[in-house]
Amino acid sequence: MASVTIDHVWKYYGKTEAVKDLNLKCADGEFLSVLGPSGCGKSSTLRMLAGLEHISAGDIRFGERRINDLPPKDRDIAMVFENYALYPHKTVRENIANSLMLRGASRATIEQKVKKATELLQIGHLLQRKPQELSGGQKQRVAIGRAIVREPQLFLFDEPIAHLDAKLRAHMRGELKIMQRELGTTMIYVTHDQLEALSMADRIAVMHEGVLQQFGTPQEIYDHPVNEWVAGFVGEPPMNFVDCLIEDRGGVLHAVHPSFAVPVTGSQEAILRDSAHRAEVRMGIRPDQIGIVTGDGGDAVAAQILLTEPLGGDMLVDAAVGQEKFLVKTKPDFQGRRGDACRLAFDTGRWHLFDRDTGLAYF
Amino acid sequence: MASSDVVRYRSPLRSLVNVLVAIFLVIYVVWTVLPLFVMFVSSFKDLLEAFKLPTVGDWSGITLFFDFTPTVKHYQSLFLDHNFSVYLFNSIVASAGSALISVVLGAMCAYSLSRINFRGKQDLFFWIISTRMAPVVAVMVPLYAIFRGAGLVGTIPGLILAYTTFNLPFAIWMLKGFFDNVPYAIEEAQMCDGATRFRAFLSILPLVAPGVGAFLVLCILFAWNDFLFASIIGSGGAKTLPVATKELVQPQNIQWGSIMAAGVVTTLPMMFLGLLIRRYLVAGLTMGAVKE
Repeated sequence: MASVTIDHVWKYYGKTEAVKDLNLKCADGEFLSVLGPSGCGKSSTLRMLAGLEHISAGDIRFGERRINDLPPKDRDIAMVFENYALYPHKTVRENIANSLMLRGASRATIEQKVKKATELLQIGHLLQRKPQELSGGQKQRVAIGRAIVREPQLFLFDEPIAHLDAKLRAHMRGELKIMQRELGTTMIYVTHDQLEALSMADRIAVMHEGVLQQFGTPQEIYDHPVNEWVAGFVGEPPMNFVDCLIEDRGGVLHAVHPSFAVPVTGSQEAILRDSAHRAEVRMGIRPDQIGIVTGDGGDAVAAQILLTEPLGGDMLVDAAVGQEKFLVKTKPDFQGRRGDACRLAFDTGRWHLFDRDTGLAYF
Repeated sequence: MASSDVVRYRSPLRSLVNVLVAIFLVIYVVWTVLPLFVMFVSSFKDLLEAFKLPTVGDWSGITLFFDFTPTVKHYQSLFLDHNFSVYLFNSIVASAGSALISVVLGAMCAYSLSRINFRGKQDLFFWIISTRMAPVVAVMVPLYAIFRGAGLVGTIPGLILAYTTFNLPFAIWMLKGFFDNVPYAIEEAQMCDGATRFRAFLSILPLVAPGVGAFLVLCILFAWNDFLFASIIGSGGAKTLPVATKELVQPQNIQWGSIMAAGVVTTLPMMFLGLLIRRYLVAGLTMGAVKE
């Protein structure tokens, strides 16, 4: 087991900067997820950790040991690839035993460790099969079996369940999390799926265009995104954004839009007054932080229903406020229909205001 | 999975085409197989019997062709009087040796070209192919001069080197395509599992085995059937079967029987090799293991 320190790491491909000045520290035994869209540098980071890519600048340390110049075989890592990368000409048993055979383990040791790993993953009945006779989920288990059998000090998972169908993916999320907790091995898990990151990781590093945007627990990332990009990327359905102006009305700061003016809370006002804020901001609020009721009048924001999408347990409502569109998540017994007038109540305790130029969050 | 059969519907035109195709195939088979058959049969005939031919248009005279007493004297004469066992050995060593060297060096070179990016890679690759662009005859004289200077003329190593010179670029060019089709992730997984780069290279060889196998056969065929190199570089001490066969044609006495027997001796091993490797090649190519 080891902690991982990524210290001012850069990665260039020619003139392209794939990873820019990345700093991360992953504690021993931690489940760290690196989250970002494709091309954000997350896979490059993982491959640098594995030793499959050179580190252009900066240092990576496992524990106290600098591993920049170690070949993959000496780093004591195990990696699971997005496309599984099983050896097509070998059986499941040979695939899983490969790393043990490479380091010359005894036959009995191999037998015992393969047995343990395959029992954990429930693939004991597949040992004699070749990869092309396996389903996607089974291949993925074999790939994980190959990783855990050698008991490395660090797991590197590169979108291992991205190609599975939705149901199996949900199932594997749970299994992977349990497996990591049981083994207690440090895990760095790369994904573009925020749901995987939120549900499994102890901490999440959100990356965008090679730059680390935010590093924190899933709850911190979800509740307190540091900028507009993180706020928009994390959360499903995505956050609503509206341009607003901050105006002082009767001594209280309001977020003002042509269609509404909503006062900020006391603590938010204090932050805004302290931070020499600009008048132009962008308001962000998640669909489940907006209340919706049908009918006119009252002091809430007037809106019109554009579309309702029942999802079984929830209902998504597209509501128009002037020229803006808000997505609202409500209960499935909501009675509004297309064209009806409705009123929106913002949960101002949990909304966010971002600087319109820099995208940084005030709160 | 959709059936890979082509759907066909009956029509008069279709039937006509089928008949024409059948006729063409019959002619083609006669055209290609008959010479081999005549060679095979004639090699067991006495000289007089071999030249017993029916007159043109006399189809009943075709039985004349099969009216002979089999004899193996031509084969005896080849191996006892003409040293064909030595030439057979030379042919085997020269073709197998150059094929092996070409495939081993070619695979490593093709792997590097497939996996590693470096400055001038495209130019290097083009240069390797371009060595095959000049006809062999054009470089024969300088090549002979070089080989003579190095004392390689008339030796088996010289012949192996000459064949390798021409097989290697071909090997690199062909095998690179096979390596390009193997996902890099498999080697990366090997390296993460604890393999060195070379070990990872060895581990993906089974995936390119069909290519390597096919190419091995091509290299052997090239060297086995070669006459030009064998007659010039190999002349003297490293005579191979084609050259030895040609020497059976002498001004006063063309030894037709022996020539036919030599033809059989030269052809049979290659046919046997083809049969041996055919099933393996087909199995390898349909393995489908390389695709994700």
